[in-house]
Amino acid sequence: MKPNQERSSIRGTGRIVSLAAVAVCLGLMPAACRVEAPERAEAEERARDTGYRGIYLADAGPRPDFVLTDMRGEAFDFRARTEGQLVLLFFGYTFCPDVCPVHMASLAAARRGLSVDEQRRMRVIFVTADPRRDTPERLREWLGNFDEDFVGLRGSEAEVDNIMLALGLPAAIRDTSAGPDYTVGHASQVIAFPPGDGQRVIYPFGTRQADWKHDLPRLLNP
Amino acid sequence: MNGLQWWCSAQTAAWSWAPRPFPGVWLLVALLAGLFWTLRRAAGEAAPGYRGSADRRRRWAWLGGVLALWIALDWPVGALAGYLASVHMLQYLLTALVAPPLLLLGVPDGAWRRLASRPGAIRFLRFLTHPLIALAIFQLILFYTHLPSVVDRLMVTPLGSFAIDTLWLAGGLVFWWPVVAPVPTRPRFGYPLKMGYLFLATVLNTMPYAFLTFGELPFYGVYELAPPVGLLGPHQDQQVAGLLMKVGGGLILWTAITIQFFLWYGREGEAEGPAPAA
Repeated sequence: MKPNQERSSIRGTGRIVSLAAVAVCLGLMPAACRVEAPERAEAEERARDTGYRGIYLADAGPRPDFVLTDMRGEAFDFRARTEGQLVLLFFGYTFCPDVCPVHMASLAAARRGLSVDEQRRMRVIFVTADPRRDTPERLREWLGNFDEDFVGLRGSEAEVDNIMLALGLPAAIRDTSAGPDYTVGHASQVIAFPPGDGQRVIYPFGTRQADWKHDLPRLLNP
Repeated sequence: MNGLQWWCSAQTAAWSWAPRPFPGVWLLVALLAGLFWTLRRAAGEAAPGYRGSADRRRRWAWLGGVLALWIALDWPVGALAGYLASVHMLQYLLTALVAPPLLLLGVPDGAWRRLASRPGAIRFLRFLTHPLIALAIFQLILFYTHLPSVVDRLMVTPLGSFAIDTLWLAGGLVFWWPVVAPVPTRPRFGYPLKMGYLFLATVLNTMPYAFLTFGELPFYGVYELAPPVGLLGPHQDQQVAGLLMKVGGGLILWTAITIQFFLWYGREGEAEGPAPAA
């Protein structure tokens, strides 16, 4: 093969490779559009099976029965005060850098999308797993950043841990040896109690506003 | 705090203002600096004594392009782009709309001449950088790299994030090529058509802008579930990203249109020649 022919053949191959690369990239686009993260696919599958994108637990027993202190320092009887309402219960702490603010922001945004009547029939309850730092004032200020109607509750560490254990959640881990900026390990799921006893829907971290928008109407009217 | 990462990507750890190194970005910057030196040497322009205003302008343009990329990809912008959609959009503007034209303007004359002497390369570039093909490729990349499923998949790993940044840079080079690069020559693609081409790009970026700004819900899981940074919620952050695309992208494109207009005006003035003396 003459040098010129050889060069031209190499260039021809280069062009074909480049065009093939562009074609492959363009061909992959429709596939990429359909790709969903595994957790999204699971949520969709759950929605097809149960109507909820959260994890539905039938026959989950009655609502937990506990009394803690609200942000005004008054006793809050969970079962009595939430009867007939949809309750979204979360255990976290206000110094949490990631999971807690994300969950609260999602719930606040989803709640804003409901009618006034629906908002009245729904309660978001945040129980602090870090009562040492989460004073009533701190809870009120922090939750108020998301929604003035969110309820913050506190009790002793032992009381809160016992409630979490009774709900099948692990107790919180408070590593106070790390100094005043310690972190608290805690369950990351929101537990939904639809009106009426016996049902529970679990929303792990990763639940998005679109999921709440999908599930809240059904949670309010199971 | 996560360990050393070679490229910025989305993180689940809370944001920290403590600087972090990204060796991949530094390597890219070093490679681009080396490429400029190689191009000049190959074109015989690195010889001592070779100086000129055009050479100085090219050096500044290349430096600007490299600087824009460095800012876009390194800490803090590159790292914050894993937490905030708005910063991700700023990264897009710098990588796809600011750096590529500057890099192309920085290519030495001799390098363009060498490229022009390769018929195979010219044939390929004539096809790839045909204005309609270039605009289509750029818009496809823009669309593809802003799809929620793609962003959520790719932004969580350094390799995926690198793929997005590379696509932006490559797409930007292809998009700006017909406007800025002198090779291959396109005598019929003059200043008015270049202005029309850029204007079309401002129109086409309205779709993703509208999709981001007027979306009812946050589209990107990676940003919706990211540890919060600052006061913006995920939905507001997405709206800012959309506005940035429209306003920031529009500003860059309209600046380019204005430059093309004045170049055209200058060329017309030259063609008419000096005004007759009274």
